[in-house]
Amino acid sequence: MKKALALSALVSLSLAAAQKTVTLAWSGAITGPTSDAGASYAAGVEDYCKYANAQNMLPGVRLNCVVRDDQYNNANTQRNFEDFVGNLNTPIFLSYSTGSNLQLKGVIEETKVPTLPASYHIGLIDAPNNSYMFLPVSSYSENIVALLEYVAKKDRGAKVALVVNPSPFGRDPVVDARKAADRLGLKIVDVQEVGGNNLDNAAMLRRFESQGVKYVINQNTAGPVANILKDAKRLGLLGKMQFMGAHYTGGEDLTKLAGDAAENFIWATSYYMYDEGDRPGIQLVKKIGAQYGRKADTIRSVHYTSGMLAAAIAVEAMKRAKTDISAAGLYKGLTSMNGSRAFNPGFTVGPVTFSTKDHVGAESLRLLQADKTGNFKAITGGQRSQMFQLVHPLR
Amino acid sequence: MPASRFTQTGNYRTRYAQDQTIFATSAEQLSLIVLVLVLLALPLLLPKTLLRDVNLIMIYAVAVIGLNVTTGYTGLINIGQAAFMGVGAYATALAATRLNLPFFVAIPLGGVAAALIGTFVGLPSLRLKYLYLAVATLAFQIIFEWTVGHLPLLQQGGAISLPAVQVFGIRDTFLNHNRFWYYLILPVLVLMALLWRNVLRTKYGRALIAVRDNDRAAAAMGIHPGVAKLTAFLLGSFYAGVAGGLFAYFQKAVVIEDYGLHISVQLLAMAIVGGLGSLPGAFLGPLFIVALDRGMEVLSQWLGGQNLFPEGVDVATALRPLAFGLTIVLFLMFEPRGLANWWRLSRMYFKKWPYKF
Repeated sequence: MKKALALSALVSLSLAAAQKTVTLAWSGAITGPTSDAGASYAAGVEDYCKYANAQNMLPGVRLNCVVRDDQYNNANTQRNFEDFVGNLNTPIFLSYSTGSNLQLKGVIEETKVPTLPASYHIGLIDAPNNSYMFLPVSSYSENIVALLEYVAKKDRGAKVALVVNPSPFGRDPVVDARKAADRLGLKIVDVQEVGGNNLDNAAMLRRFESQGVKYVINQNTAGPVANILKDAKRLGLLGKMQFMGAHYTGGEDLTKLAGDAAENFIWATSYYMYDEGDRPGIQLVKKIGAQYGRKADTIRSVHYTSGMLAAAIAVEAMKRAKTDISAAGLYKGLTSMNGSRAFNPGFTVGPVTFSTKDHVGAESLRLLQADKTGNFKAITGGQRSQMFQLVHPLR
Repeated sequence: MPASRFTQTGNYRTRYAQDQTIFATSAEQLSLIVLVLVLLALPLLLPKTLLRDVNLIMIYAVAVIGLNVTTGYTGLINIGQAAFMGVGAYATALAATRLNLPFFVAIPLGGVAAALIGTFVGLPSLRLKYLYLAVATLAFQIIFEWTVGHLPLLQQGGAISLPAVQVFGIRDTFLNHNRFWYYLILPVLVLMALLWRNVLRTKYGRALIAVRDNDRAAAAMGIHPGVAKLTAFLLGSFYAGVAGGLFAYFQKAVVIEDYGLHISVQLLAMAIVGGLGSLPGAFLGPLFIVALDRGMEVLSQWLGGQNLFPEGVDVATALRPLAFGLTIVLFLMFEPRGLANWWRLSRMYFKKWPYKF
């Protein structure tokens, strides 16, 4: 008996020794600006990583799950990147904000480490230095252009206002939106910048009203949009204007902050919603969230799903890399995700596809509208913006 | 002549020239040389991530010396130092990418651009004082952010990537980045500190202090307070511009978020904690604030891992800003002269040891 125990201990030890440890690391805003989204995103990455270990998704490989707060500070992100890539040898970088990713483009190109940002800024995959950046889902620009297409179908010639965040994150889609609006016969009559400190939007909304604006498209985070919606409700403008927005404007965060003022808000995103329990990805989100004891609010957040998607793509790339779990191996793994080998973890409306030329993962998106209960219901099927290809051809 | 060149046992100065020497004793001179030698060897001793923090401390120290020039030595409150850093960073980026100038020309050019803008922004100081001037510089911070955010030339605040630098055949790469920039930033910091130390010994430097202490008395002594104030803004923003240029190269790209109001507040905190109107304070302040931030990061990570708090309560959310705010309040209340005063007291202690008085 003693001999058998000793033997099994020896076997276990040798198996453990044979296991390779690979770091799966994320750097983002758990505190500081946009941490409302970042904290849930971090939880998603961390939980999926733990789940992958628990499920032994990568036989012979133990994932070292590292989630680090960069406080939305670019210098901290660079420090984390240096630590992850330089010291922990992570073969893939899961990152967060627009500014830090734009700043890191050159270094990422130099180190050849594939990077999956939480920012869906199209400039990240624009030349130059764009070989190793991969957007997990469709870009903000495509979200906005898809919303413009929806408006054009419904109300050709309508007057539209854009409300964007005063940052590279907010400003970037404006150029593409203007080009698309011109082609679609829409008039963008105003572009306003609104940050997180927008306590009173009455003047801006009254101006939109006097300009005859019927559609207000937001490229922002949920907080400022919620304030706009509450002000619009107070001014009795909700029925007169249709409010819409790109990925980071909507979801649970918006309904939580805006309450019933969020009703009818139209939102463009590639992700499935928490209440779409028939989707395998959402079932997995609920299962993992419960398994790791997350709060209901965290599990319901679309950003929790987003974090899981990023981690799932990384793990899948590792699976495909087989024995070569290096940056080069993962790059090959990522770029093999196309055609019959597309990756579909079920978190998004379409599969994740990448190639050496295609750096947008889940390209399909849906438009959803908030109902009376605050839930977002799909008003379109999975689709791609036709116009976006024309106004912003990639490579 | 003193009894010994290595100990200061009394004041033996008989000429103004002796009174203006930087070092009172040879021991002080020697200790600085030893310090610089230790600093030169530091990259060989520190891990890479810590070296990055040291580089940041040095860059902030350049900016804080500048802030000390305007606020500490001349008494002009400035809440827009990060914007001056930003002017320097963007000017450096344009010089490097549009004019293809090498970094050793682009960075000083950034300093000159910031100095020009700084002098212009300093014009209200001829009429305004105290809180009013603080608001004027705050306005510049906002104008700067808005302007950058709307200029296509500056990518609307998006990133302007800087070219990789090469010195004596050694290229700045991912692997040597922190060490490479350490050896470039350190001499700049030493030069800038020496420059300010020497300006202080001139009549122009003393004029700034006189204006801070009492501008009417200074005017009565023949000092032009307006010129002195504009000189302070010119010099202070030059330092900020150079710091901005260094930061741009160190970060490899210029992004507007790096030069926001929160950074101005942080620089002001560094100047206060270090000790306003003190050169050692300009080093100690950044060192303390960056170390505090790193310390809080480690502490909150550790606390977070102890399962002491329910899920969703992020310790870091509270700890880091709390520590930052509390430090400033405590320093203002109990040590308004900052860490520089502790440094002075420690030096005095060792100088007088074993005697108490």
